[in-house]
Amino acid sequence: MYQSKSHADNATIFCRDENRVDWHSKALWNLREKRDRAAASVPEWEQLRQLGSEIKLHTLSHLGDYLCQFEQKCIENGIQVHWAKDASEHNQIALNILTTHSVKKLVKSKSMLTEECHLNPFLEKHGIEVIDTDLGERIIQLNNQPPSHIVVPAIHMKKEEVGELFHQKLNTPKGESDPTRLTRAARKHLRDQFLSADAAMTGVNMAIADLGAVVVCTNEGNADMGANLPKLQIHSMGIDKIVPDADSAMVLLRMLARNAIGQPITTYSSFYRGSKVDGEMHIIIVDNGRTDIMQDNILAESLKCIRCGGCLNTCPVYRRSGGFSYNYTIPGPIGIAVGAQHDDSNTIPWACTLCGSCSYVCPTKVPLDKIIAHHRRLKAEQGKLPFGKKFYMPAVGKLMSSPTLLNCTMSSARLALKVIPHTLIKPLSGAWGHYRELPVAPKSSFDTWYKHHKAANKETK
Amino acid sequence: MSQNTTSKQAILAALGHSSINQLNQKPDLSGLKSTRFLQTDLIKRFEKGLNSVTGELIYPDNGNSIDILKGNVAQLISQGMQVISLVDGIEGNQLMPTQPHDLKHIDYAIIQARFAVAENGAIWVDSEQLNGKNVNTHRVLPFICENLVIVLNKDNIIATMHDAPAKMHLHAGDFGTFIAGPSKTADIEQALVVGAHGAFSLKVYLV
Repeated sequence: MYQSKSHADNATIFCRDENRVDWHSKALWNLREKRDRAAASVPEWEQLRQLGSEIKLHTLSHLGDYLCQFEQKCIENGIQVHWAKDASEHNQIALNILTTHSVKKLVKSKSMLTEECHLNPFLEKHGIEVIDTDLGERIIQLNNQPPSHIVVPAIHMKKEEVGELFHQKLNTPKGESDPTRLTRAARKHLRDQFLSADAAMTGVNMAIADLGAVVVCTNEGNADMGANLPKLQIHSMGIDKIVPDADSAMVLLRMLARNAIGQPITTYSSFYRGSKVDGEMHIIIVDNGRTDIMQDNILAESLKCIRCGGCLNTCPVYRRSGGFSYNYTIPGPIGIAVGAQHDDSNTIPWACTLCGSCSYVCPTKVPLDKIIAHHRRLKAEQGKLPFGKKFYMPAVGKLMSSPTLLNCTMSSARLALKVIPHTLIKPLSGAWGHYRELPVAPKSSFDTWYKHHKAANKETK
Repeated sequence: MSQNTTSKQAILAALGHSSINQLNQKPDLSGLKSTRFLQTDLIKRFEKGLNSVTGELIYPDNGNSIDILKGNVAQLISQGMQVISLVDGIEGNQLMPTQPHDLKHIDYAIIQARFAVAENGAIWVDSEQLNGKNVNTHRVLPFICENLVIVLNKDNIIATMHDAPAKMHLHAGDFGTFIAGPSKTADIEQALVVGAHGAFSLKVYLV
């Protein structure tokens, strides 16, 4: 959608409309505040976070065993299990299942994995109509956009824009922007789709190894409405969605919706342990780079994520740069953590102030700021630092490691700030100076000030 | 070897190179199971939880909510509503259709809950309740109906989600779901709208 892939370039475009940035930031902060209230209402919240982290770490460290157990139990439950190394294999498996059943129309509920695999355009190319059924997802699908947030995918759109879109696509009255009336129109439109679909596909929030069951959470009921009407249901899951048992799932379920949007639980948390009578249930287990991530013990912790979106809502950079600035399907801190290796602009690890707010709110204690800093190191080691950084960072490193050099440079800089007009030296400040004024030069360096005062202190003693 | 087996082997082999410490123990979760609460306390907590997810509890002081339900059902039917009931002793005016799609006209579905969770108002319904007195019940019923009515026994309220697995009865091949209130969305500018794809309202009769 944007010309450049660089985060800073795209953030600049997003930031042109200051009122909109404020509105966007506020909407997300509102979710963060709701999250805080919901978390505070559970006295053992911090204990749950610790347990959530331990459950996920344990599962990831025995993932092969749990995946095999999960597959075995699914087969016992009459569920057909497929394995996909990558996105293209996932898409091919899905297509094969759908064509075997002569599916013309597929209803989908929210799945970041199928976004990651770009499943929709693939299926459409093969003549299958794909209908996203989550309201937010349907809005952006009609608007020809990817999601800008993993939980609230149309958070970037104003109700007037949704109204105009619905007017064009769903024939709602011109100028209608009331969320209730627009939602009713979408309900009517999507009900027709549910009733005429040949198959349903959903993502998976958790896959319970010892039951051979998948858990799917929605507020709207679209996953259950979809999966329980046609005979064929398909669930796509990343290998990281496994939990050992229902007890473990409960720990995560208690946190998921509270941390996402401040609700005590999603309206529907459904456990599918087999198909409906005369139906067919398939599960596609997908790697698509996850085992690569697991080979780096810092990056591996990003797979503890349960996709609540809490880190996006709190992130000062995401809130002010929008979901389309990240050059990856998943934006925000978790998007950087799991997507930086795919980011050919090599800029998203820097879309972060390293403030650590994301790690603080994460329900499974993914050390997001640590992972993002690690990505910067990896980019540097791979020689992929963006042009400017590649040029000046080594110089800055040398400068900072030599006290003499640093002192000399700083005193010339102080002098320059005092005697040269700022308009002349501002261009030297690079990107830093785009939105900042140059500082007023202090009289002396901290080093000099400290030595002076230390000496003065000694004298008074 | 089929392609599927090849990919499975490839994924399992790649997991062999995982750098995650293999000694991460499974944490002990038994401490999370709640200590006993008084029933009246659990009912109060459940009502609060249910209200927070825009559900409504019907539990009169005399405890006779089943008579209220019967009266309400009679009234709904007299108003021309299509009512289907899976609860013993409550008669609707619609039979279970052969095709799940034919449930689209149902105005009110009345189902039995196995148990409910006080902390969040979630109500567990599984294949056994959905099949009730009719083996051909469709899983889609609680989602496709315009309004959902759930009958819950007051002895079946648990404090938190941690007590749920012991009560879930999710047998091989089964389906079960936690339902917390009517369906809702806030996808248009964060404005809460009740009645997204599923039920517009949820009433819980405590008996």
